[in-house]
Amino acid sequence: MSDTPTPQNTNSAIQFDELPDAPPKRKIKLSLLGKIGVVVLIFWAIVVAIGPMIAPYHEADILDEELFIVPGSDEMYPDTDFQPPSKIVLLGSDYLGRDTLSRILFGARTTIGISFIATTLAYLLGVLLGIAAAVGSKRLDMILSRLNDALLSIPSIMFALVMIAALGSTIPLLILLTGIIYATSVFRIARSLGQEVMVSDFVEAARVRGEGLWWIITREILPNIAMPLATDFGLRFVWVILFISALSFLGLGVQPPMSDWGSMVKENLPGLIYGSVAPIMPALAIATLTISVNMIVDDISAHTGGKLAKRMIA
Amino acid sequence: MKEVKIFQQMYRDGHVSRREFLAAMGALGITATTAGSLLTSASALAATPTRGGSVIFASNLHGPDDTLDPLLGTSTIDYTRSNASRNGLIQIWDDMSLNAELAEEWSVNSNATEYTFKIRKGVTFHDGSGLTAEDVVWSMDRHRGEDSPSSIKSFFTNVTEWQAVDKYTVKLSLSSPDADMPYKLTQPQAKIVKANATDWLTAGSGPYLVDSFQAGVKSTHSRNPNYWRDTGQWLDGIEITAITDMNARLNALLAGSVDMITSISPKQIQKIEESGNNVLSVPAGLYGGICCLKNTAPGENDDLVQGLRYIQDRERIVRKFLKGHGTLGNDHPINVSYGADHCHELPQIPYDPEKAKYHLNKSGYSEAELFVAPVTGIIEDVCLLMQANLKKIDFNLKLKKVPTDGYWGAVWMKEPLNVVSWNMRPTANSMMGIQFGPNGNWNDTFWNSDRMGELLKDSLAETDAAKRHEMHCEMQKLVSTESGIIIPYHTNVLDAHNPKVQGFSNVPLGQFGGNQWMEHIWKNA
Amino acid sequence: MLWRALLSRLGISLVTLWVVSVLIFIGTNLLPGDVAQIILGQMATPESTAALRAKLGLDKPPYLQYVVWLQNVAMGDLGISKAGLGAGLGTPIVEILEPRIFNTLRLTGLVTVIAIPISLFLGLIAAMHPGTRLDRAVTFSTLSLISVPDFLVATMLVLIFAVFLGWFPAIVYLRGDETGWVLIKTLAMPILTLVIVASSQIIRMTRATVLNVMSSPYIEMAILKGVPRKRIILRHALFNAVGPIVNVIALNLAWLVGGVVVVEQIFSYPGLAKLMVEGVLMRDLPLVQACAMIFCVTYIVLIFIADMATILSNPRLRHPK
Repeated sequence: MSDTPTPQNTNSAIQFDELPDAPPKRKIKLSLLGKIGVVVLIFWAIVVAIGPMIAPYHEADILDEELFIVPGSDEMYPDTDFQPPSKIVLLGSDYLGRDTLSRILFGARTTIGISFIATTLAYLLGVLLGIAAAVGSKRLDMILSRLNDALLSIPSIMFALVMIAALGSTIPLLILLTGIIYATSVFRIARSLGQEVMVSDFVEAARVRGEGLWWIITREILPNIAMPLATDFGLRFVWVILFISALSFLGLGVQPPMSDWGSMVKENLPGLIYGSVAPIMPALAIATLTISVNMIVDDISAHTGGKLAKRMIA
Repeated sequence: MKEVKIFQQMYRDGHVSRREFLAAMGALGITATTAGSLLTSASALAATPTRGGSVIFASNLHGPDDTLDPLLGTSTIDYTRSNASRNGLIQIWDDMSLNAELAEEWSVNSNATEYTFKIRKGVTFHDGSGLTAEDVVWSMDRHRGEDSPSSIKSFFTNVTEWQAVDKYTVKLSLSSPDADMPYKLTQPQAKIVKANATDWLTAGSGPYLVDSFQAGVKSTHSRNPNYWRDTGQWLDGIEITAITDMNARLNALLAGSVDMITSISPKQIQKIEESGNNVLSVPAGLYGGICCLKNTAPGENDDLVQGLRYIQDRERIVRKFLKGHGTLGNDHPINVSYGADHCHELPQIPYDPEKAKYHLNKSGYSEAELFVAPVTGIIEDVCLLMQANLKKIDFNLKLKKVPTDGYWGAVWMKEPLNVVSWNMRPTANSMMGIQFGPNGNWNDTFWNSDRMGELLKDSLAETDAAKRHEMHCEMQKLVSTESGIIIPYHTNVLDAHNPKVQGFSNVPLGQFGGNQWMEHIWKNA
Repeated sequence: MLWRALLSRLGISLVTLWVVSVLIFIGTNLLPGDVAQIILGQMATPESTAALRAKLGLDKPPYLQYVVWLQNVAMGDLGISKAGLGAGLGTPIVEILEPRIFNTLRLTGLVTVIAIPISLFLGLIAAMHPGTRLDRAVTFSTLSLISVPDFLVATMLVLIFAVFLGWFPAIVYLRGDETGWVLIKTLAMPILTLVIVASSQIIRMTRATVLNVMSSPYIEMAILKGVPRKRIILRHALFNAVGPIVNVIALNLAWLVGGVVVVEQIFSYPGLAKLMVEGVLMRDLPLVQACAMIFCVTYIVLIFIADMATILSNPRLRHPK
């Protein structure tokens, strides 16, 4: 981005308050920040793929005290917890004397994996049911909407607290729960978008042509709601990561000794007061990931315009 | 006073017991009360109490189940409130001796089936009415009967009758001999309240009145002007609350928002000391451990349990996880804090991965699943260390982390491998009895040994000190080799307080000196 | 017309409330253990648990307990908290709720009063000068703050302002008679934390919404006509952005009422969210239900207000074809 103010919607001539009759053509140009975002995302994608292979230790390894003996010192049992970065532990050690770097590398897979699958699940569920509510009978819409409202009105952390306490904290359940919780807002978006498209002129026209419901859904509704939902995906992905870290604050995150970034922040909080970097490093990992995702989302939404902002609220 | 310092260090390291320490102090010409406070603090020597001021006490847990009814007390905050506003018949002091409280004196018949209590005269409840034998009988009867929800109900199953002989005499009849009964009466649940009490705020006779009480929020207390005992009551007021988050609790102390915090983590000690606050570290029999159920796989396999015993790096646990504020566990509950009953002859089981590997191979298991909940301080860390060390010898221990709420009902004594924590009991016999008495309510490794039952019964009646010690040694050996319990460490009771607050006792049966600090602490201006 | 709409809305709300109560009922019944077991904890024996259960009225089948609860609620009686009842200390839930609702509303109110003007101001400023350093600074800092777990934000703030600087207390310990400056000081830490977390979201949304409206044809027209940019934003764009912005604010308020478990936990603040968590941990069903009902009503009312705002701010929705 240069310092000269750029006109921020070069293609705004075709923007109307309602959806255009056909998906507008878009060519996304990334700003500098957006490009940095892409680089960071690629970096984390690589870590997800090979992180455990390049980690100096295993995520569960509690390092031996001998490793930390300073040559020449007669201290046989030096402290291993909350150690500052050194040659032995490049990003310092955590509250148990485990290597923070290794745990971040292992944790990338857990954190990004769980959040990604959960967000995807939220979209599958939300879009499927949202469209069903939009095109289905009034009764179906009523049932789905009330159920959705009810779920939305229960604070999500309470809902998770009850379900995890009842069914046990396993990764599949964590994914399923988070998926359901975030599906509620996707449902709202998909339903209202779907309804708008259903009453639009081109669907009328398709109906008159005698096209079936399936044709309308796949050819008209899905393409038309795909873009707003895609940009929304990024934000919700971030919320899911933070949600899971809030769960770990309440002791409901992934099972030990598995590492995920949110629980790493939580379990190392006692080190903060000693100036340890152990809680900061995983927080930085979360921040770089979420900020870069959002930078990209910002770029995309600046170029697609539309009613994105309104969509992002729900 | 160099000797005092040396003894303090020895005591802290577990080289001398509480009784030995107090005896040594006596030999140095130091009175018992002073010696008691010397157990933890050297500054107590010169300090003189001052009257006035108030403290805010922050416990670790509270909620809508906070209660003023002693019957259902289960947490530090309940015990603290109970001790502030109520009295029991008998209480335990620093040297673990039994002392008169509302019972001026008591006597027992030769076979320990009948106790007679002389009730103190001139004691008034907070509503102004006087204490009589009727109140005692009513309070104690609440622990009996089918519809009693008392949490210590099973302590009193051998009671046939509580009887008010006259206005100030109570007779207790038992169906079976019970020399431990006076200790049971020191339980915080066994406080005496006004008969047929309806207003729990004024039902007690304790040193501090209950001015307000809001479950899950806080309670406020002011000095009882009509207290029957002159023990100081230095503070004008006490406020009792809880901060559930461990880091927040520490920050509240550091920022001066509260005066006392319970249940600190060993990791926080360095910061607390740097900041000029005091750590109260009282050696105790408190422990966290692993239960292997002996009546089912895999715990029924002795080699598996033995392997898991050898894999505990006990020295590192005490050194690093407890930062030295604890003692090595030897797979039985009776550590040095129990004084003469502790079997120092029993060799300490070492960390020995080779032997662990040998036994685990022999057991035929190469993996197991352990249920873990943060039921006490560092237990989760201990399990993680165990898991990491087992990984080195190719044994896959899966940890299943479950929430603490519901743990005691749904996991403990149900899942084949689980974690447990036990507070210290007043005597070695009561501790062993509650956990290893054959077919007992809390036999949490389902290990039933007839020999154990015999020893429990006989040691209680044995008056010869040497023979009694021998019996306790045999029991400790039995538990540490045959039962399913693994006890890697015993932890000190750890609390922290503003240095202005002084005069804490050292009863190791609960936080801040057995939760009975209200009467004798003071706050310097 | 309006009355009919309101009535149908009310009917829908009641159905939603009922669905919530059923969900909570099913959920809490799935939890291991019940109030009696949890109260007695490690020292529970089958006999004492059974005795306590009987005292608490838990010996009836769960669905029957639910039916009784539903009947009572329909009559306006929220019942008695199960925890503490065994000791004969049956505190009516209304009594437990009252101070908590007051606390939650007080905190929510203060946060709202501070956060909303700041967020709207910063959001608008950023939208008025898109692409400038100012805009990028606002965007980047709000993004960074959104990306950090709130418990880390809270803990850092406590370490800085309470522990090192000693300006504010580390926890909220209310004596009950605080007013004015003392009250603000007591509540400073949670207010600061929540303002930071809530503002970042509202700022982002305000900016995005206003920018979005700016790209609509009538604004283009106004720009072409030479109307000053400032005037366009304040007169036209802002008015049209009211709907979505009110929506964001409404959802943030709902979150402040029921979703701030972590913050209430860290500052030991006796609010509603913490109460519900404690209720769940205790398996105190009537208490959990009561909290859930409050959250649900809050949500419904706030969403209703947001919808009204959307309709009123949009001429086309105000006068449907």
